[in-house]
Amino acid sequence: MTRHPSPAVIARYADREAELDEVTLWAVEVHLEDCAQCRALVAGSATDDTRALLARVTAGLDDGIAAGPAPARVRRWAVARHRWLVWQLGPWITMTVAVLGCAVLLQAVAPDMPSLVALLAPIAPLPAVAVAWSRRHDPAWELIAGTPAAGLAMLLRRTAAILAVVIPALALASSRTGFSLALTLLPCLAFTAATIALGSFIGVRRAATLLGSAWALAVVVPTVVTADLSPVLQPGSSPLWALLTLTLAGFAATQARGYRLLSSHN
Amino acid sequence: MSHRRENRSNEAFVLLGVRRSLEATDEQELVRRTAAGERRAFDELYRRTSPWLLARLRRRCADDDLVADVMQETYLAVWRAASSFGGPGATGSAVGWLWTIAAHRLVDAFRRRSRQSLVPAALLAETVAPAAEDVVLAGRVGQELEQALLELPPDARRVLQAMVLDGFSVRETSLLLGVPENTVKSKARRARISLRAALS
Amino acid sequence: MMRTVSAAETAPTTYPWAVHAEELRVRAGRHLAVDGLDLTLGTGVHGLLGPNGAGKTTLMRALATVVKPAGGKLTLLGESVDGRADLRRVRRGLGYLPQAFGFYPRFTVREFVEYMAWLKEMPKNAVPGAVQRAIDRVGLTAKAGARMKTLSGGMLRRAGIAQAIVNDPAVLLLDEPTVGLDPEQRLDFRELLRDLGVDSCVLVSTHLVEDVAVACTDVVLINEGRLVYQGTPEDLVAQGGQGDAGDSPSERGYSALLRAHRAEAAR
Repeated sequence: MTRHPSPAVIARYADREAELDEVTLWAVEVHLEDCAQCRALVAGSATDDTRALLARVTAGLDDGIAAGPAPARVRRWAVARHRWLVWQLGPWITMTVAVLGCAVLLQAVAPDMPSLVALLAPIAPLPAVAVAWSRRHDPAWELIAGTPAAGLAMLLRRTAAILAVVIPALALASSRTGFSLALTLLPCLAFTAATIALGSFIGVRRAATLLGSAWALAVVVPTVVTADLSPVLQPGSSPLWALLTLTLAGFAATQARGYRLLSSHN
Repeated sequence: MSHRRENRSNEAFVLLGVRRSLEATDEQELVRRTAAGERRAFDELYRRTSPWLLARLRRRCADDDLVADVMQETYLAVWRAASSFGGPGATGSAVGWLWTIAAHRLVDAFRRRSRQSLVPAALLAETVAPAAEDVVLAGRVGQELEQALLELPPDARRVLQAMVLDGFSVRETSLLLGVPENTVKSKARRARISLRAALS
Repeated sequence: MMRTVSAAETAPTTYPWAVHAEELRVRAGRHLAVDGLDLTLGTGVHGLLGPNGAGKTTLMRALATVVKPAGGKLTLLGESVDGRADLRRVRRGLGYLPQAFGFYPRFTVREFVEYMAWLKEMPKNAVPGAVQRAIDRVGLTAKAGARMKTLSGGMLRRAGIAQAIVNDPAVLLLDEPTVGLDPEQRLDFRELLRDLGVDSCVLVSTHLVEDVAVACTDVVLINEGRLVYQGTPEDLVAQGGQGDAGDSPSERGYSALLRAHRAEAAR
């Protein structure tokens, strides 16, 4: 806090007619923002017309308060929550978790089937991620698309919210069915990163569909047909998956530009 | 405002013994309690800050009617929006926040006026040379800064006051002072350069 | 409390027009809705008129950077809008009210405007004051705590306008803002428009010719994705004659210009 100006200066400040040079004015105003004591002095130095003006304001204020709404209770978390988790994701995440639950149950019923959880893990978050960045599913899309915050960072936040549910679910499912945790989580992360990376070129929905179909054709179908777990999911492949995840994640992080003018793909 | 004390239901509650002395609380606390709907806290906040705000606004606008409108709108906004003012995470003081609201309402009022082709109430500018003792007693700002401010042409000082002290943007300053945006920018640029030279 | 003024803020304005489009082409689906449009907009309220299917909404969407232009040049606030540009700076100075917008249903009006303020990357301290100011300016003060779901069409529109103006944008794009407003609300809205036009560039798309004639400083008429006419409302009136369709001089001017443009296109 600065040193207090003299009461005489404050009195001159309070009176508009009194002359006060600009430099002193500046100093006084800077000081008054911090000092309640000197503000009280300003109150004490009120001239008659100032008092009349204040009385007018007071009366108008009383009317306004009586007429208008009372202070609103603000739900501080309501807005903050929407930065991460948006409503339209709810059903899709629930569906994903339910499907994983069914996979666990099926595995319990038929234990010698190749691990369903492992087969589903990579594509588990994809539907939700596709919906997280889709004009059709996001009711506020038209409003969001033109804002500065729209872009890769927002997609990543929403994806993080999705993964925050899907990863623990997967971990639980894989521990229940006794399949390797790394081989469940790493492909999931790799495919999510791939969707985001590819999505900057062709759109997230198309990327998710493409990757999901590719996985289904290349891995799920042969595994179901031959009843033999695909080599891609054999125990030794986890380092490769880790490397793939890191590479794809790094690449996705550089694709911010592709997400700036998003609507061309949505 | 004191006559309101009788008819509030929460007054009875307060009088029952939870009577905390409002004199001891600072403005930030008063805003917080206003947000909770406490009319007494709001009245106290008003009592403490309105003379200062009035004086400050009157030094920016010659039109007392406009100033009265801005004051009213400001405090009504405080009453309604107090709950969204920061909290523990808020930077800046409650008083600074109050000024920001008032400044924006002033801009809106000027927009209304200029649309109605009324001559916008000019910002007052005193270009009086400071008396020696005033400069010394004025407090911090600093000798070099004061010197540099004195050396600036008065219109550059006005621009600087609007932008630095009051926090207006270039667009708002141009509206309030009635000068084109590019003029505001060039004056601010020159002022910055000479001030930076003085302060470094 | 003194704020610092940055060099960027005081750098001279390099661009003469807030919005400048040259040979702009924008697709809506497969169809080229904006086809070779030249447009220059400065400070003031510009009314965008045109028949249905003229490309008004697509043009607005392109200006709001919601849709990437298919061709031509578009410059907003001095920045060129194309695939390469960093649009964050431009978008911070934009406000957009779409013709049809959705919202997260659980929001109250204040939360909705606050969410949009956050999306526009406004400084955190400024948000509560700016939200209240926007709500007050559109006249929704009494309804600030009401859920968006419970609002009538006109009030919803006003909430949309509030989110568009919350960041005090230099370029404001309003697509059919008066839909659902009753006559008194429309009058209030015209006042608001005029206030906004004092120091920013406002583009209002509407099919109510009267709204444009009264509140706008400038009229832009487009048809089939091209610019037909740009001038003052008085000049628009001057274009019309007794033989043209319409109940008011402005409407007659509008019909006359459209007729002439269609005749020109048919040739």
